Amino acid sequence: MFHGKVIDVSKGTITLDKAQKFIESQQCGASLFFIGTVRNHNNNKQVTGITYDTHDSIVEKSFKEISDEAISTITAEHPIIFIEHAKGYLPLGGISIVIAVAAKHRGQVYDLSRFIIEEIKKRTPIWKKEHYDNEETTWLEGTPVLDK
Amino acid sequence: MKIKIELFGAARDFSEEDYLELTISENITIKEVRNNLMNYIQNKYPDNLNYLEIVKNSAFANDQDVIVQDNYKLSTEKKLCIIPPVGGG
Repeated sequence: MFHGKVIDVSKGTITLDKAQKFIESQQCGASLFFIGTVRNHNNNKQVTGITYDTHDSIVEKSFKEISDEAISTITAEHPIIFIEHAKGYLPLGGISIVIAVAAKHRGQVYDLSRFIIEEIKKRTPIWKKEHYDNEETTWLEGTPVLDK
Repeated sequence: MKIKIELFGAARDFSEEDYLELTISENITIKEVRNNLMNYIQNKYPDNLNYLEIVKNSAFANDQDVIVQDNYKLSTEKKLCIIPPVGGG
């Protein structure tokens, strides 16, 4: 089972409760939550918040592709994957991403979760603009999606 | 013909709108679109090398929301999306 969605934070919120309900299964002996949050510093600057920009439809397709690859690479049994990522402005401590996974055994959920977050960072069209205490902003450098 | 380039991430700084329009020849490739966009940026922001780097390192998505390679030839597209280097999470 899979759920992957971009959440516009002006219209909704990412909640662990929703993730928990989605991944509950009596076939799974392990579940794991990865939660990304906005921290207060980066590159020696005081961060006050982050604006997340997304290409929603490609992001959601990418979440599905990455999840399918994770399941086949890791050969997880009875896998359930829930991914939500924020779009819009988040203050310090705001939840930018939740990856909740369940599977038969603990090793499988650790591997699934790690695989998914690392691939999202490399290839899913999401961008961060940091806001600083001096009111400046910077788009963070990222990873090019394609070799040309 | 005119083509609309929807802007994302750092490329949003290229315009106050969330897109820009380029005049291009028909049936050109993504590589040629990239070169057109670099010319546009050089004319509009002659001192901004950072913007040129963003275009150099960006991918493009077609109107079916598929990321396409430099040798991809445009056919019916009226719009593309620029996909600058990514880094979510």
